[in-house]
Amino acid sequence: MAGAHVAQAQLSVRDLTVRFPTGRGTVQAVNGVTFDLARGASLGIVGESGSGKSVTAKTLMNLLPRTAEVSGDVIFEGEDVRQLAEQGREHFWGVKMTMVFQDPMTSLNPVKKCGEQIAETLRYHLKRAKKTALAEAEDLLAQVGIPEPGKRVDQYPHELSGGLRQRVVIAMALACEPSLLIADEPTTAVDVTVQKHLLDLLDTLRRDRGMSMILITHDLGVARGRCDEIAVMYAGRLVERAAPQTLFGDSRHPYTDALLRSIPRIDQPSHTRLEPIPGRPPELINPPEQCAYAPRCRFAQADCLESIPQISGVAGMHEFACFHPANTDRGREALAANLALGRTAAGLEITGSGGSS
Amino acid sequence: MAGSGHAPLREDLDVLLSVRDLEVEFPVGKGAVVHAVSSISFDVAEGETLGIVGESGCGKSTVAKSIIRLNDIKGGTVDYQGHDLARLKGEELRRLRPDLQMIFQDPISSLNPRRKIRQVISEGLAVWGAERGSWSQSRIEELMLSVGIDPKFGDRRAHQFSGGQCQRIGIARALALDPKVLICDEPVSALDVSVQAQVLNLLEDMKKRYGLTLLFISHDLSVVKNVSDRIIVMYLGKACEIGNANELYEHPRHPYTRALLAAVPEPAPTVDVSEGDISGELPSPINPPVGCRFNTRCSHATEVCFTEEPAMQRVGDSDHYFACHHPVAVSINA
Amino acid sequence: MSDADANDGTSAVEPVTIDDGMVDDGMVDHAVGKKLGVGFWIAVGWLGVLVATVLFAPYLPFNDPDKLAAGPARTGPSLDNWVGTAALGRDGLARAGSGARGALGGGVRAERAAGPARTGPSLDNWFGTDALGRDVFARTVYGARVSLVVGFIAIAFGMVVGGSLGLVAGYFRGRVDQVISFVFFTLLSFPGLILALLITSTFDRTLRTVSLTLGVLAVAPVGRLARAATLVFAEREFVQAARVIGAKHFRIMTRELLPVVLIPMAALALLGMGVAIVAEGGLAFLQLSVEDISWGVIINDGRGIRDLQENPHVALMPIGVMFLTILALNFAGDRVREYFDVRETAF
Repeated sequence: MAGAHVAQAQLSVRDLTVRFPTGRGTVQAVNGVTFDLARGASLGIVGESGSGKSVTAKTLMNLLPRTAEVSGDVIFEGEDVRQLAEQGREHFWGVKMTMVFQDPMTSLNPVKKCGEQIAETLRYHLKRAKKTALAEAEDLLAQVGIPEPGKRVDQYPHELSGGLRQRVVIAMALACEPSLLIADEPTTAVDVTVQKHLLDLLDTLRRDRGMSMILITHDLGVARGRCDEIAVMYAGRLVERAAPQTLFGDSRHPYTDALLRSIPRIDQPSHTRLEPIPGRPPELINPPEQCAYAPRCRFAQADCLESIPQISGVAGMHEFACFHPANTDRGREALAANLALGRTAAGLEITGSGGSS
Repeated sequence: MAGSGHAPLREDLDVLLSVRDLEVEFPVGKGAVVHAVSSISFDVAEGETLGIVGESGCGKSTVAKSIIRLNDIKGGTVDYQGHDLARLKGEELRRLRPDLQMIFQDPISSLNPRRKIRQVISEGLAVWGAERGSWSQSRIEELMLSVGIDPKFGDRRAHQFSGGQCQRIGIARALALDPKVLICDEPVSALDVSVQAQVLNLLEDMKKRYGLTLLFISHDLSVVKNVSDRIIVMYLGKACEIGNANELYEHPRHPYTRALLAAVPEPAPTVDVSEGDISGELPSPINPPVGCRFNTRCSHATEVCFTEEPAMQRVGDSDHYFACHHPVAVSINA
Repeated sequence: MSDADANDGTSAVEPVTIDDGMVDDGMVDHAVGKKLGVGFWIAVGWLGVLVATVLFAPYLPFNDPDKLAAGPARTGPSLDNWVGTAALGRDGLARAGSGARGALGGGVRAERAAGPARTGPSLDNWFGTDALGRDVFARTVYGARVSLVVGFIAIAFGMVVGGSLGLVAGYFRGRVDQVISFVFFTLLSFPGLILALLITSTFDRTLRTVSLTLGVLAVAPVGRLARAATLVFAEREFVQAARVIGAKHFRIMTRELLPVVLIPMAALALLGMGVAIVAEGGLAFLQLSVEDISWGVIINDGRGIRDLQENPHVALMPIGVMFLTILALNFAGDRVREYFDVRETAF
């Protein structure tokens, strides 16, 4: 469960930083991300587009373009993942650590039968014989809940619905019995009822196989029900990390707090006024040395504009990166001061309604 | 009579838009047709927000685009202030267009990449001239201000704005013509979560300010509930359930509505999570099931569901209608 | 809904929605890191120098391209073909140029024009001289007039006619599209070179005829591109939005679709101009092009076996210039396409 100690961590990411040089400057896609994942645990990484959540996953999977400048450590089961890449260990990714993408068609070859594609994975990584591989493929399709697997092995991806396709991709990811599955927005392209099935499936498979999972999503609700721990990312940084109950019930980072308030909830009566987050996510090119959320934050004080708050707190319990955290005395003071002024230190005009109190 | 029936049509209200037995088909070659919308009836009262919710392929967007006549309509009527929008053509239709405006799903694709946003917003006024309010710089600036775009950026083009800003520009364009009805087709689903609330609030503000009637289409049950007074749940081209937003979510009768409410990541407290496990795949809209269209996936289905199409019936005398032979928690006083 | 209401409402708008600072410094630019590149500017530079040289040729200290043109055009019977044709075939722009040339060069022509025949490149004759002792450099410069004008008019004709047809076909689809597409297919199936040969041998060989013949050949490729681009963009929501607003078809086509379709068309136009110039060269090679100096004509002059073996510069120099020009056109066209494609895919 949540309180995993560093010693028994299966995956340990330290100070991961990813930059992309572009014509207009360096994009600071990921900044000093640090986390541990215990064996068999599931971690949700939540953030908006540009938050760095997908880049983090791609770094783990060694899928970044060559232009990316990466620093920091990624240790998986005692091995330095970033060195594996240099040693050309291609049987690591896809075997021990695999990934499921948002769009199943990125992983599927449109002109090959589903069974063949799974069998190919098995033959390539595990050197299975052709016949055994095909039999195993059918078995895998059955395991991911595809009806009539015997028929499906001979179908092409375009003959399947979006939900079934994603199941085929999951089957392919599971073929080599990975110990870590990274799912990058696996259900964003499908309907809610299909989403529920897929998430249930991932849950079951994870428990049955003792596999760990990193679930990357923009949907706090999805992460809430499916993860032991949730990490919130904003502008390339990890801003808060806690177990779901803590995060949803007692959030500390003003971004998490505001996000939870801005999303319409199904149990609220209709026409409940939402409390939107003003502005929009910042550019990642040459950001100023300040808290990236400060311009949108109701709590922002002068110190938020002077330096970048580092993530701190009880490791594995509740960590956050904020000088004036919400739901604390310090935060309440900051907000009260801002409300009295009518504006924050970053110049954002705020009023009494809404926000954390 | 096809399933929905006219029960949910209200006579006692100031109805602005009344859709009866709307039927839309798309040919897909070899004589086959997709039955995108089959005999759906509903109405929208003036000043009301009607939400249409359902999964992909249910026909919710087709309903919207048919009302605004971006699709051809095969059957039924769409009554708007005495005009049947389903039958209007050419110039007659064009004359009515400004009254019904639309906000599109993809905010960036809905703006011409080559035109300055000031031109985009003033296009309606440029087309209609004095007929729909005066074309003036100050009117355009006022519109831009009211949707939260600084007029000093009027000379920029769409690619220089974020998705949320583009959606605001799209809203300003629609409002420029002083419409009566605003049709919003998934207006926030392409936006980042932290920006969605801004646009939803903006729509609510604009509705009050300009006295709009809204038709709000979304797959997101929470979003639809938040903005709507009344909601239609659609499945495979048909309406399953229609009712007051709060009432519908609190006492869902149709098994499909319940399944939807149970399948969302944070399910409504009124349903059992296990109800979200509807089995099977969405049937083909080319050959929809006979009887109740949900019969292939419904755990309550009996023989009658495969032979007889359920008619819309009212729950007591409340504003709540459903089309099901075996509704959950039956208490019909009809 | 009245103006008064609207004004009152302004103050009620959520303050959160206005965010000058963020909009200001946070503008998204999808073209980040996309530049036309040095190569594009070199190509454009070459084309610019070429056009400028051609326009101002009469005022520049170049040799006379016609050598013996000092006398009346049809002097010696042996030269009748060359000099005589030069006087006859001029038309439009080229004629204006030739007038200026005559006026300016008249006096000096006798002394400096005629050089010895078939000399290699030298300081006096940069590209050498041809069989009749004419300066190949000067002929290349004056030949560029015809070649560029043919290329330009041909592609402009193709753009206007083909572009309009393609736009209409792509926008209305259905019957209209079927008819127009059929026309395009017919044009494409017609052997282009034979059509050109037929026209130039049946009618006259004026600049207008040659340009329009090549223009007709450009209609189908340009039109099909315009149609394909229109089909793509007509599906975009901004076109639906224009319909919802109540814009008429003509307005949607000209205001919404034309500006976006014009970009891929412009890229094709640059490429097409190159093709037209080559085609004109081909016609000239068959002695069926304009009866004036064009690149094709000059190359044709130098194509004799003996010439190619002993004085390759007569043909190779103009070929080199033509090659560079077409390379520049193709390169510029390709860069334009690439540059804008990336932007378009962002939508």
